[in-house]
Amino acid sequence: MVNEMTELEALLMERSLTDEELLRATDTAPDYRILPDATVVKIGGQSVIDRGRAAVYPLVEEIVAARKDHQMLIGTGAGTRARHLYSIAADLGLPTGVLTQIGSSVAGQNAAMLGHLLAKYGISTVEGAGLSAVPLYLSEVRAVIFGGMPPYQMWMRVPAEGLIPPYRTDAGCYLMAETFGCKAMIYVKDEDGLYTANPKTKPDAEFIPRITVSEMKALDLHDAVIEFPVLDLLQSARLVRSVQIINGLKPGNLTRALAGEHVGTIISAD
Amino acid sequence: MSDSTTAKHVPSSLARMTLLDRDLTRPVTDRPPIRLLPWLNVVKIGGRSIMDRGREAILPLVDELRRALPEHRMLILTGAGIRARHVYSVGLDLGLPTGALASLAAKEAGQNGHLLAALLANDCVAYIEHPTIANQLAIHLAASRAVVGSAFPPYHHHEFPPEVGRIPPHRADTGAFLIADEIGALRLTIVEDVDGLYTADPNNPGGVRPEFIAEITASELADQRGTLPVDRTLLEVMEDAKHLDHIQIVNGLVPGNVLRALRGEHVGTIIHSA
Repeated sequence: MVNEMTELEALLMERSLTDEELLRATDTAPDYRILPDATVVKIGGQSVIDRGRAAVYPLVEEIVAARKDHQMLIGTGAGTRARHLYSIAADLGLPTGVLTQIGSSVAGQNAAMLGHLLAKYGISTVEGAGLSAVPLYLSEVRAVIFGGMPPYQMWMRVPAEGLIPPYRTDAGCYLMAETFGCKAMIYVKDEDGLYTANPKTKPDAEFIPRITVSEMKALDLHDAVIEFPVLDLLQSARLVRSVQIINGLKPGNLTRALAGEHVGTIISAD
Repeated sequence: MSDSTTAKHVPSSLARMTLLDRDLTRPVTDRPPIRLLPWLNVVKIGGRSIMDRGREAILPLVDELRRALPEHRMLILTGAGIRARHVYSVGLDLGLPTGALASLAAKEAGQNGHLLAALLANDCVAYIEHPTIANQLAIHLAASRAVVGSAFPPYHHHEFPPEVGRIPPHRADTGAFLIADEIGALRLTIVEDVDGLYTADPNNPGGVRPEFIAEITASELADQRGTLPVDRTLLEVMEDAKHLDHIQIVNGLVPGNVLRALRGEHVGTIIHSA
């Protein structure tokens, strides 16, 4: 171990960061999980929050009850207002970075709304999804809320086609889980999980309880329940190698998923 | 599908869809983006190649940038150098993840920016942070001919896990390209300590005599094995470029090169986006 680090140190000081030997050597470094007891929970924008009270109140109750047993980083999606903004901005020819910034603002509105409902339990909303005081919130009140968009702003990678930001709140929440070495990543949506086609438009679509990234890519689902670029992130990940998508409109699902039960679709790296 | 409740939709041409089906989003989002600041010259100054060399390399370059001010409006971005290597080394020894290393390395690039901006302060040039670049660049460039910022993109804790190893993949070259392309800048010049690209590493003695490459495409370069003078992720993002059809790598140790590159002259290696 001592030798390995010395070798890595030497490579880091001397070689190009594109050097393959250097990159392979960094693989040997140990992994430290920063927030190993926390689970990242993403609450869908269009799928959950846009439904208002009927969908959100039962989830709030579940979150409040679940925090006795679980620490939660709760990220929010953007939803229908982001779609409205994207359609106007894209028609104006505004660049992906501008769409990213306004999309972040919508996810932030959803975080603020959830924050108002959870305020009386001491659960706070944090700006910017960095680390900051998050560990303190987790240890004291066991949950914290944030807007789910990644902080890329004008530096968002552009899509190969079109202008819509490719890394949105699914990616933003997932990367929080991976970077902080969290226990699990749960996506709370309005479907039981992944289907062979979009069940909202194709009623005969079949449910898929478990799938790997390469199986999912082979199926070439154009309209899946999760942002496609998350699959590549998951495939390269070191710490959080699977995610679960659950139906948050069914009471008890979130609590069961937090306990590690399989209640939706689990997508795993190969 | 358990539709016990209904969503309150805002009517729009993207309403109700997942945004994942290109066949559905294409008609709405296929308009080419406009250039927000079409007159902007983005200049990326190497951390290791220029800033770490200290006074000897920095002062002549600062002088050249000062002389460029009346002619060009510039976003000057600085990279990270040897201190970033040190922070990677300590961070990896502590077991920190890529996302933590990305935040730490970005600070190094910012430190280099502060050094450069201090030297240009008398010319009304200031260091500005990422949110200011993203939101208030136009007004800052109305007050001054140039601003300085960190070339690292604000990926921080949301950096991608790399395919191999733990080094953050979105570094200074990539960050400079992403902002220059999104904003629709005039051009991006990458200032290094070599004349451009060679068929082999010119700083690696003992090999075959390397030949200079005057022009190449990002995909040709990405196919090359071995080390590169630019980040690999840069080549990946260049292939999706919306505005910048090329970038130029120039030797900032040769007096006059940066000025000539800012005018669009070919003095180093041009990498074409596609």
